[in-house]
Amino acid sequence: MQIAEPLLKVESLVKRYKSSATSVHPESAAAVDGVSLAIPPKKTLALVGESGSGKSTLAFCIASMERPTAGRIWVDGIELTTLSERELRAVRPRVQLIFQDPAAAMNPRWTALQIVAEPMVIQNQIARGEQFDRAQILLERVGLSASAGSRRLAEFSGGQRQRLAIARALALDPKLLILDEAFSALDCSVQAQMVNLLIELQSSVGITCLFITHDLAMAALIADQIAVMDRGRIVESGDASDVVLHPMQEYTRALLAASPRMSQPPAAHNS
Amino acid sequence: MNPRRKLVLLLTLLGVAHLVIACGGFFAPYDPTAQDRDRPYAPPMRVHLVNSAGHFHLRPFVYAQQLREGTFDEYVSDTSQPIPLKFFVSGARYKLFGLIPIRIHFFDAEGDAPPVFLLGSDAYGRDLLSRTLYGGQISLLAGLLATALALSVGLLIGSLAGFFGGWTDDLLMRAAELFLALPWLYLLFAIRAFLPLAVSPLQAFFLVVILIGTVGWARPARLIRGVVLSAKERDYVRAARGFGASNIYLLRRHILPQTWNVVLTQAAILVPQYVLAEVTLSFLGLGVPEPAPSWGNILSSLQQYSVLSSYWWMFLPSVAIVCFFLGYLALASALQDVADKSKI
Amino acid sequence: MRYFLKRLSHAIFLLLGVSILSFVFTSLAPGNYFDEMRLNPQISPDTVAALRAHYGVNRPVVVRYARWLASVAHGDLGFSFAYNTPAAPLLWTRAWNTLLLTLTATLLSWLIALPLGIWSAERKGRAPDIAVTSATGFLLAIPDLLLALGLLILAVRTGWFPTGGMFSVGSESLSWFGKMRDLISHMALPVTALVLGALPLLVRHVRSAMAEVLGSGFLRAAQAHGIPRRTILYRYALPAAAHPLISLFGFSIGALLSGSLIVEVVMSWPGLGPLLLEAILARDLYLVIGGVMLSTVFLVAGNFIADLLLYWADPRIRTS
Repeated sequence: MQIAEPLLKVESLVKRYKSSATSVHPESAAAVDGVSLAIPPKKTLALVGESGSGKSTLAFCIASMERPTAGRIWVDGIELTTLSERELRAVRPRVQLIFQDPAAAMNPRWTALQIVAEPMVIQNQIARGEQFDRAQILLERVGLSASAGSRRLAEFSGGQRQRLAIARALALDPKLLILDEAFSALDCSVQAQMVNLLIELQSSVGITCLFITHDLAMAALIADQIAVMDRGRIVESGDASDVVLHPMQEYTRALLAASPRMSQPPAAHNS
Repeated sequence: MNPRRKLVLLLTLLGVAHLVIACGGFFAPYDPTAQDRDRPYAPPMRVHLVNSAGHFHLRPFVYAQQLREGTFDEYVSDTSQPIPLKFFVSGARYKLFGLIPIRIHFFDAEGDAPPVFLLGSDAYGRDLLSRTLYGGQISLLAGLLATALALSVGLLIGSLAGFFGGWTDDLLMRAAELFLALPWLYLLFAIRAFLPLAVSPLQAFFLVVILIGTVGWARPARLIRGVVLSAKERDYVRAARGFGASNIYLLRRHILPQTWNVVLTQAAILVPQYVLAEVTLSFLGLGVPEPAPSWGNILSSLQQYSVLSSYWWMFLPSVAIVCFFLGYLALASALQDVADKSKI
Repeated sequence: MRYFLKRLSHAIFLLLGVSILSFVFTSLAPGNYFDEMRLNPQISPDTVAALRAHYGVNRPVVVRYARWLASVAHGDLGFSFAYNTPAAPLLWTRAWNTLLLTLTATLLSWLIALPLGIWSAERKGRAPDIAVTSATGFLLAIPDLLLALGLLILAVRTGWFPTGGMFSVGSESLSWFGKMRDLISHMALPVTALVLGALPLLVRHVRSAMAEVLGSGFLRAAQAHGIPRRTILYRYALPAAAHPLISLFGFSIGALLSGSLIVEVVMSWPGLGPLLLEAILARDLYLVIGGVMLSTVFLVAGNFIADLLLYWADPRIRTS
């Protein structure tokens, strides 16, 4: 099945949080409990599960925003878990995360152009003028108007903000894009537009995606492969069409049944 | 009136008030240490526009005061000697802002006329108005400097505690709690006492500033820590980290700008508190010593019964103090309103 | 029980910390009581040296602190150089006087602030509320020092109140009732000064705490049930606002203590304030430390009591 070296490889990842006095379980809870997965380059993997299943924690670990308790992660052939903080800083731009709440993910006092240019400003590899030129191009790439650059965050709608977030995420040419429930907070019609944008980016830029969602229907639309996560573990994975049409696990079947749009599973987009 | 406009108005008013004090030398007719032993405890002179014969004069004037024969504190207005007040006159030499030597005063009597005591005089015949203006310079400056010190230390410690968390945070916040538990006024006095009591006004001034500022960092530090703590957890900070940002970048570009509101509001609250601390210290003889005027030591003569009962005008400088405090309190409240508005 | 112990150990930790800090601060300063003595030509340097050795003034800070701590454990708070007697009895008498003043002022100010704050909160935004808010705003700007001085001037000019001290001369010969009257007339001014100083903040906090609660749904339900207004205010709303108010209570005791220092000095009330000032001016080390520590004890005790009250009043604390 894997022709090339996978872009993302996760092996037996475990993440435990120290329990506080108020937690129900006395021993520390494992948010991610031995997860392994791989994504080939230029493909999209959808990670599906309910809230509390550990998908966001997994995403944060892959994006090196959290340090895993055990296990290994490779991105583009580089093993993240053995790197020091300094080394990690150089590697981080390869993996970009898009948060669920765009309003919280961007500084409300900054203009759109500043927001999109920030990654380049931080990395400081190209000249300031060029940074802002690129930012402008990216804005238009995601479908925002040319004049949007000088507007502040409060002036954009939810969907536009997510476009902004995507534009910013693309600024450093990441190899892996993680979308953590990125479209879940948007209106249905807007969701459709965003899905189209993503599909278009996938084909034009060839970006590898980890798409996290609780919505199996959307997963089927966007992803090449689907992995189902329940309470910190992957319970089922495989090609998108296989998982949706021939689910093997009880849990997957339950998710399918609960999804309102799955009465007639749509054809997966690249079958 | 919308909060922003109210804030601007208040800032302007306060700014003007501070400017008047800063230009104290200009508005004060006399040197604050210039004594007139012939006129101790002279009461305030009333400004007249109509003289005893019923004639109206455009130029305001006062009547000279003489000590009544045989008494040492009763004054009689000499209606045969009206002293017209001139504006922008040349008078005693002074240095504007302590730098520019100049002779022009806002108002004064001309030439060799007896002194004009608009607010009365003190035990040594020194003009109370002049002393109040110059005293304001010292007391206000002490408050402002001490606030700057306390806020700087508080900002530093609060940011460190909030940003790094863990045991740094625990340690620093426990220390803050300790400092907050101190009855700081008592401690201030205690520390002040054990330093040499007879110091020059300049030394005393800086002593007071440093003492107050060092004891007062705790409250601002706690507040700033709170802001930093919540700002640190924001998604855009995590995102910036994801772009490879260093800690310094995060603090500088995302976190510290959020503390601005708290810093300003705290400043408006602390300045009057610290001015009061200086006033109290000087009142009790532990602050700025004579002959340099401070709002505190001008009031200290009120500790004597005779002054309390007979020379009520010695209490007048408190009007200036209360006015400034009102201004700062209103400012703090206005800042709070503007901050609340912008959160919605 | 655990909560009690936890807060108690916290309080003790604070006291120890403050004592260390005070000792360190006062020791860092280069002056001490014997400096003045040294300047006096009538006292021979040998005597001064002997005195210094006797009081251990030239020992290192740690030793002095340890000895002081040991003597505190015995109930002895060090020795007053100026009075030439143990510091403790001096401090205790004065402390009682300060407590008398402070506790009376606390009681009175809360008795006024609670109804006033509630009344104001009920009429929030309307004329009575604006009047109260403006009045408190104005009062807030007047520091205790000026309040005390102003009241004194009033007393002197009207002769209605005595202008200082705790008892009149010759009051020992009065009956008990007469003594009480005398005491109260002497307390009137300082207590008024303290109450006026404390009222603005108290009223404001009560008002805002109540205003928040008054908007709640459960109160409207109670109203719909026909429960009388006063019952709603005092039996339903006030307990809901209790948490911040109890914390405020602990804080207000501390604030009153700090305020009482200057009021006592100005009004010649024989409390800790004037004693401390005197000790400071004389650089009487142990008296100063004792005074600072006592006031800290009161402050910490106030907060400790507030913590206990909070535990009793707010069930949420019990379950955390």
